[in-house]
Amino acid sequence: MAVYKRSYKIYDGPRTPAGMRFSVLTRFSLSKLFESRIFTGFVVMCLFPQLLAAFQIYFAHSAAAQYALNLHLDSVLRIDNSWFAAFLGVQAWLGFFIVAAAAPGMVTRDLANQALQLYLSRPLSRAEYMLGKLSVLAMLLSCFSWIPSLLLFGLQASLEGHGWLWKNFYLIGSILGSSWLWIAAMSLFALALSVWVRWRFAATGLIVGSMFLLPGFGEAINAVLRTNWGSLLNFKFVMQVIWASLFRLAPDVRRLIDADQIPLWSAWASMLTLCAFSLLLINRRLKAREVITG
Amino acid sequence: MNETASPVIELQDLVVNLGQRTILNHLSGSLSGRCIGLLGPNGSGKSTLINTLLGFYPPASGSARIYGRDIQQNIKELRALIGYMPESDSFIADMSGIRFVRYMAEISGLPPREAMERAHEAFFYVGLGEARYRKVGTYSLGMKQLVKLAQALAHGPKLLLLDEPTNGLDPEARTRMLQLVREIRDAGGVNVLISSHLLHDIEECCDEVIILKDGKIAAICNLEEERKANLKFLELEISQENGFVEAIAALGCETARFSGGRLKIVLPEAIEVGELYRLAVEHTVQIRRMNYRRDSLEDIFLRAMEGPQPAKLSSPPPPPPRTAHGSL
Repeated sequence: MAVYKRSYKIYDGPRTPAGMRFSVLTRFSLSKLFESRIFTGFVVMCLFPQLLAAFQIYFAHSAAAQYALNLHLDSVLRIDNSWFAAFLGVQAWLGFFIVAAAAPGMVTRDLANQALQLYLSRPLSRAEYMLGKLSVLAMLLSCFSWIPSLLLFGLQASLEGHGWLWKNFYLIGSILGSSWLWIAAMSLFALALSVWVRWRFAATGLIVGSMFLLPGFGEAINAVLRTNWGSLLNFKFVMQVIWASLFRLAPDVRRLIDADQIPLWSAWASMLTLCAFSLLLINRRLKAREVITG
Repeated sequence: MNETASPVIELQDLVVNLGQRTILNHLSGSLSGRCIGLLGPNGSGKSTLINTLLGFYPPASGSARIYGRDIQQNIKELRALIGYMPESDSFIADMSGIRFVRYMAEISGLPPREAMERAHEAFFYVGLGEARYRKVGTYSLGMKQLVKLAQALAHGPKLLLLDEPTNGLDPEARTRMLQLVREIRDAGGVNVLISSHLLHDIEECCDEVIILKDGKIAAICNLEEERKANLKFLELEISQENGFVEAIAALGCETARFSGGRLKIVLPEAIEVGELYRLAVEHTVQIRRMNYRRDSLEDIFLRAMEGPQPAKLSSPPPPPPRTAHGSL
């Protein structure tokens, strides 16, 4: 039907698979995010540490490069489990700022003008809506966590040889497990806060604030009550405790990051509670129609 | 399942509670019109019924069916057949109109290429073609109403749910909106459910009306039958008799003569108005005026609001005399 022919016609053409409709949200959200030059610039800037890390690995294995720069770092610069854990730690912080910048706009844009009822009046469930939005964050965070980590692991393995690969094969699981735990926790937490406050700037402030203010509050609890349990409010620290276990860090490295300050089970419980709380908040607030009681 | 074979909407003892309050109270009825009007005063449960049909609110008891399919068991499948235009502002402000409608069409399951094509068509259809590349947030209220209609149409639904479509529109835009609804209704294969508290809007477009009062059905009325029934009560003004009145009486019509060539006629079921024209030609009588008494929706609505409920008003008692001009 041509555009000039103004008559209504029922659509009976092909339809996309029902199970993949959430990917429409992912595609549109991603393209909307990268319409912002500031965001695009920030993402590109955040890729530099990965290049730096790749250069570090190359440099650690290149006698010619060390000779040219008159540096001999073979013994100092060891690419091992601690190095990958540290790299992931840096990337996690960058990923967190990307999530803080991206997540609020994705949902508050829909919630501010009550567009959610339009989504949910279509063959799309609330879970699929969230899956579509979570996929955006998962894709972005993947580009800063497990994908570069595995690429660097591959580079290191190819430069170091098969012996290193088999000895450190468990690191693949460590990288994937640590990354996906961080991706899931941060994405759910950021989306939950965004859904809760429904105002983009407030949501960004709350996400960033929670990562800085909650640890301060936790430290205050530690100081006043002479305990370590307050550290459970420091999600970055809690994550480090879990990562220390997943990456099988040596005791001296664990001491360096105070990884034994709280038991491992409590760190897992804290992270799972954070995810459960986020899901609960999303479930309560993400509705096509709100019922006001009382 | 063939959508045309079963009633559009069936309600079976439907109860919907929001919080502690019962909003829809044991609704039962079957609606089969091409364009169904959902009437009722503010707070009577019109929007709640639409939201329930969309699966936003779960029934506390009873059930609702659309095209014979239970809304609770087949809601995803049904949503693919439904186009929804909400009452309140509902859009993504920083998206261009065309992108917004295309986005919504894609979520409804259209492939990207078809979605884009139909989004353009929908924009031209509602008369917003020139503004389709502007951001939705910059649209006027009337344009926002039209873009809401465009997104409801773009994926080619079989059932359109329009919640107060003429809200906030100026008279010209309102006329245009109602004209669009009539065009969609007449396009065939589409059923429309319009919720409104404006009787004129419903009367203009609908052939069946469900009237809600305090969450209960006050009346279900087939306006098409009402109109047909009302056409049987005629008031004529003729130039001269020439045996015309006798000829009408011979057809079986009840007639009453008045001064000034005025006649009141009750036509039997089998006799069409066209017969009167034929007889007028035969008897060289000029029909100067022909009125048919019409039981307006306002009468039906007021009776429903006053009377006991629920009432099936497909064959109402004769209303008080009231005339509306017919066309000759």
